[in-house]
Amino acid sequence: MIVLKWLFLTISPCDAAEPWQLGSQDAATPIMQGIIDLHHDIFFFLILILVFVLWILVRALWHFHYKENAIPQRIVHGTTIEILRTIFPSLISMFIAIPSFALLYSMDEVVVDPAITIKAIGHQWYWTYEYSDYNSSDEQSLTFDSYMIPEEDLELGQSRLLEVDNRVVVPAKTHLRIIVTSADVPHSWAVPSSGVKCDAVPGRLNQISILVQREGVYYGQCSEICGTNHAFTPIVVEAVPRKDYGSRVSNQLIPQTGEA
Amino acid sequence: MAESVASQSPSLSEQYHLEKEVKQDTSAKPVEVAPEVTATQAEEVTTDKASEESPAEEAVGEKSESPPASEEAPKEAPAAAVEDNVDETPAAVEESNEEVVEETPDEIKLETAPADFRFPTTNQTRHCFTRYIEYHRCVAAKGDEAPECDKFAKFYRSLCPGEWVDKWNEQRENGTFPGPL
Repeated sequence: MIVLKWLFLTISPCDAAEPWQLGSQDAATPIMQGIIDLHHDIFFFLILILVFVLWILVRALWHFHYKENAIPQRIVHGTTIEILRTIFPSLISMFIAIPSFALLYSMDEVVVDPAITIKAIGHQWYWTYEYSDYNSSDEQSLTFDSYMIPEEDLELGQSRLLEVDNRVVVPAKTHLRIIVTSADVPHSWAVPSSGVKCDAVPGRLNQISILVQREGVYYGQCSEICGTNHAFTPIVVEAVPRKDYGSRVSNQLIPQTGEA
Repeated sequence: MAESVASQSPSLSEQYHLEKEVKQDTSAKPVEVAPEVTATQAEEVTTDKASEESPAEEAVGEKSESPPASEEAPKEAPAAAVEDNVDETPAAVEESNEEVVEETPDEIKLETAPADFRFPTTNQTRHCFTRYIEYHRCVAAKGDEAPECDKFAKFYRSLCPGEWVDKWNEQRENGTFPGPL
């Protein structure tokens, strides 16, 4: 049964937390792919070091057991080993540092002009999203609040503490600029599949650029203790094909412009 | 479909030329625009550029759909362009909305404030503030309905939370706005 479940999980991309999950969620953006790859790169060195250290440790315990060999060798100096134990660790840390910095700086990089800007504004305890690229005045704006669906209202198949009433709809395969800020206390806008975790600080606008590579529904949660209902402030991003996004936004905009 | 694919490749190269010519706000747009529209836009923008230097005009032109724009473009170019802009701006905006409803409800322009290399970091607070000030300085210098200020308005609306804009508008009315206007 469990094997079947695992098989199923490897087939369908997992964009929300799973019970007993050990690894990352499946990547939806190049950034997240980079994070996962970096994790694997570093894990190679981690295992290498672990095996080496355990081997030395076990060997020392074995060979210098107090009954076998009560008096250890009294070496206090050895040029060769000192050179080796200086060079190899520095090489290893270089091999870890270079991809790490490359990823770190590429995450901040604004390479291209984004196609849309979405503002995510943290509140106690919900998120407000603003799409105001299509405004022609200060008032008119596509703005909505995104509240968690309470447990008793969940439908079959929905995730507890993760579902919201209004999802953030974004176009897939498009460069997005997300501006994260807060209206009251610090929050943090995080979507693990997108490799995004950005603090929402009142009075400050933090920008993240993401490119969602596949359509899907991605779940995240507020990641900065923001008060009593911190655990009940989820984030749901729904990536749709670009033309569907266009029609959706214009459908939501036209009634507003009609009224105005 | 075959047509559009065929006309895709030249329009891409044109778009590349455009990027160099028009510094700021076209670079993101042409990607999602239908290829035919891009072609007409390219013509239009270049003719406009030749006659006068108002980036807001492109914005207006791009909002309105391609057929009227391509017809109007040659007429407009020799005419007194500034006048055209003034009485065109509100009309064109309304038109574009209607047209979106009528013909292709799924064709909304995906465009937003471009990346500004004065603000290359995660912190974009001053980007929003600067765009807001730029708009109001532009309006103060060029007059209330100046079409070249529209792009700054679009930029700050894209970047600033609505709450902040409301607060600043209020402060400007009361004369307590802290920025250099």
